[in-house]
Amino acid sequence: MIKGKMSSIAALFIAAAVLSAPCAALGQSATTSDPTAAGKAVFKRANCFGCHKWHGNGGGGYGGDALSLRKTELTREQIIETVSCGRPGTGMPFFTRGAYDTVKCYGMNRQEVGSQMPQEAGTFLRPNDIEAVADYVIANIKGKGEPDYAECVAFFGTTSRVCDIYKTQAPPAANSDAANGKKQ
Amino acid sequence: MSKLVRRGFLLRASMLATVVAAVGIAGAQTVRAADEVTQERLLNADKEPGNWLLHHKNFSATRFSSLKDINRDTVKNLKVAWTMQLGGVEGGGIWTHGGLEGTPIVENGFMYVTDGWGSVYKIDAHGGKGVLVWKMDPKTDHDWAGAVACCGVDNRGVALWGDLVISHTLDGRLVATNKETGQVTWQRQVADPDKGEVITGAPLIVKNMAITGVAGAEYGIRGWIAATDLSTQKEVWRTYTIPAKDEPGHETWKDANNAAATGGGSTWVTGTYDPATDTIIWGVGNPGPDWDNQYRPGDNLYTDSSLGLDASTGKIKWHYQHTPNDPFDYDSVAENVLADVPAPNGSTLKLALEADRNGFAYAIDRTSGKFIWGLPFVKKVTWTKGLDPESGKPVEYDANSPVQHYNAAVTPSRENKVTDICPGNMGGKNWPPTAYNPDLKLWYIPVIESCNRITVEQADPAKLKPREFWTGGGPSQPVRITGSVTAIDVTTGKIAGKAEMPFPMLGGMLATPDLVFTGLPSGEVMALDAKTLQKLWEFNTGGGVSAPPMSFSVDGKQYIAILVGLGGAWDKWFIESTPELKRMQPGSVLYVFAL
Repeated sequence: MIKGKMSSIAALFIAAAVLSAPCAALGQSATTSDPTAAGKAVFKRANCFGCHKWHGNGGGGYGGDALSLRKTELTREQIIETVSCGRPGTGMPFFTRGAYDTVKCYGMNRQEVGSQMPQEAGTFLRPNDIEAVADYVIANIKGKGEPDYAECVAFFGTTSRVCDIYKTQAPPAANSDAANGKKQ
Repeated sequence: MSKLVRRGFLLRASMLATVVAAVGIAGAQTVRAADEVTQERLLNADKEPGNWLLHHKNFSATRFSSLKDINRDTVKNLKVAWTMQLGGVEGGGIWTHGGLEGTPIVENGFMYVTDGWGSVYKIDAHGGKGVLVWKMDPKTDHDWAGAVACCGVDNRGVALWGDLVISHTLDGRLVATNKETGQVTWQRQVADPDKGEVITGAPLIVKNMAITGVAGAEYGIRGWIAATDLSTQKEVWRTYTIPAKDEPGHETWKDANNAAATGGGSTWVTGTYDPATDTIIWGVGNPGPDWDNQYRPGDNLYTDSSLGLDASTGKIKWHYQHTPNDPFDYDSVAENVLADVPAPNGSTLKLALEADRNGFAYAIDRTSGKFIWGLPFVKKVTWTKGLDPESGKPVEYDANSPVQHYNAAVTPSRENKVTDICPGNMGGKNWPPTAYNPDLKLWYIPVIESCNRITVEQADPAKLKPREFWTGGGPSQPVRITGSVTAIDVTTGKIAGKAEMPFPMLGGMLATPDLVFTGLPSGEVMALDAKTLQKLWEFNTGGGVSAPPMSFSVDGKQYIAILVGLGGAWDKWFIESTPELKRMQPGSVLYVFAL
C-alpha cells in the first residue's frame, strides 16, 4: 500500500516537473511542445532502436552491423528514402507499403532489385510518419557525440535503470573485476 | 522419507474415505506440512514419479519420466486436457516480444511456470483443469534488461526449496516467493545489467544454496557461477569462468588487450549435481568477441568448457574444453547429463554427456573430466575433420599455436572475413535440453541441422563499452536450416537413430519408458517411438514451440505439459533460414495433454 502511494506521489512530482518546463535539468525532455516527439514515437513504434539502439549508434552483434545514425552523412531526403525503401543487400527493411511494387525504390522494382531485395519491416509507416522519424534523427541523433544521461532519460524517462550507466563516465565496470580476482 | 510415506498413506486414505469430510481436511493439512522441499527430496526426485521437482527433472538431468499410462499403445488418444493463457508477451529493450522457454515444475498437483519476463504462475492442476492460484510479477525492468539480452526475453523456470519458489529475473535478481501466498519473501541482485549481465536460466538448488548462471558473452562480460545461501540470502561463493591474473588458466589468455576481463564465458543453462562426489557440473559459454579469435590468442579457458565445481566452495575440480580459442561461437553452456553405464571391463563408467554447439556429442568421466568418447551428432560438420580419439580435441588443434585455425578454409578470421560454417553459430544443439532413457541407454538430442555465414569484424578495444555488443562480427543466414531428433546409444557412443525435422529443434526433449516428446517452432508437439523414432502422435498448438515438454500426474492421471510461444533469438536474428516461420505470431500459452 505504501509503495502504491509513493508511486502516485512520484508521478505527481514528475507531472509537475514536466508541466513546469522548460526544465534545464531534464535536458530535452519530451513535452508536448517538442516538435520531434512524434518522430521519437515512430522511432520506438517501428522498432528502429531494435537495431540502431536508442542512441542511434547501431553496432554489431547477432544481427550484423546496424549503421550509426549519429555518424551518418545522409540528408533528410536520403533518410526518408532509406526508411521507405530499406537498403538493398542489407538487413535494413523497407517501411513503405508497396515498396518495389507500386512504389519504385532507387529506380528499381522487385524484379530489378532481385536477390538484393530488402526485408519487409514489421510495421509499415505512412509518409508523414517517415518524415517525422527523419526529422527526429536529424534533430536528436545525427552528428551527436557519445550518448549521455540527459539524452538517455529524454528517450526512456526515469522509470528504468537503463540510463544509470551514463550517470558517471567511469571505465567499463567489467575491467575492474578481472583485476580484483575471484570474489568469495 | 518417513514424512513422504506418511503423506502418501494419508493421501490415499483421504481419497478412499470420501464420505468423511474431516479426514479430507486433516489430510490436506498434512500434505501442506509435507510439501516442504528438502535436499533429501531433491536427491530422491525420481521416487516421486508424479512430480517434476527439478528443472531437468532430477540432479542428473535425464528429463526421463517413468510415468507410462501414456505409452506407445495409448499415445494416439492423447488430446488437449486444458490450456492457460499466460502473459509476458510484451517487448522491451531491443526486443519486440517475449516468449516461453521454461520447463513447468509440478509438486503434488500444483504447477509453477514462468513467462519470459519472469512472472511466476502457480496453477492448481487438480480435477482435470488448470486454475491460477497466484501470479507473482517481479516487475522486471524491461528496458534495462531487454537492451542487453542478446538472444530474447526468456526465463526457463523456477526451483522449489522449503516453502519457497525460487526464480530469476532477466534484470539479474534471485527472487524467493512464498509458495502458498505468492508474496515475495526476499530478493537479491545477483547479476548486473549495467555490465551487460542478465539471467535467463532456472536456478539449481543444492544443499540450501541457489546456484545462478549468467548470460552476456556478447556484451563483454566476464562470466561466473554464483551460489546464494537460501537462509541468509548471502553469497556463499562466486566462481568466475575466466581465471584472474593469479589463478591457473590465466596463461591461456595471451593477448595484450586484457581480453580476459571481457572474455565472455557465460553460464546461462542450468547445470547438474553429482551427490556422490559433491560436484556441480556446469557448462561455460563462448569467448568474446565471438568471431575475432585473433583478439584473444590462447585457449581462452574456461570458455567452451564443462566445469566440475566443488559444491561447497565453488572451487574448480576439473574442466574439459571442447573448442579452444573458439572463432565460431560454439559455446558449451549445454547441460551435462549424468549417466552410469557398464564399462567393457565390468566396472561402471560415470559419464557426463554434453551435446555441444560445435556439433559433437561428448562423454567425459564426470569424476575426472577425462575424455571418453565423442562423435558428430549433426549431418554436416565443416570446421574440423574430427576429434582426436585420445584427447577429444579437434584434430587440427595445435597446442603450440596461440591462434587456432581448425579447417582454415572455412574458419572465420581477419584474413577470411566472410565464410560459411557448419554447424552454424546457433550450433548443432543450443540450450534446448536433451533427454536420457536410462533403461534403453538412449540419449535424445534436439538438433539444429545448420550452416550459416560469419562476417568477421576486427574487434577494436576503443569500441568496448558496457552494454554494447562485443562480438567481432556477426552471422547471416543464406542457407536453409532444418532439424532432427538424434538418438545416441550411450553404451557404444554411436548414433542409434535420426528423425529428420523440417525446422530446427528449439524446444527440447522429454523421455518416457517407450516414447520421446518434443515440439517444433512451427507449432507441432509430437511423440516419437523411443526406439525407432517413428512419429506416433502429433498436435499443432498453433504457436511456436521453444520450450521442452514434461510429464506429471495428479489424481492418478498422467499429463504432458508444454509452454508454447516462440521465445529466443530465432525470429530476430535467424528467421531468414526458415522463411515459413515468419508466419508464427508471438504468444504465451500453457498446453496440457491427457488421454
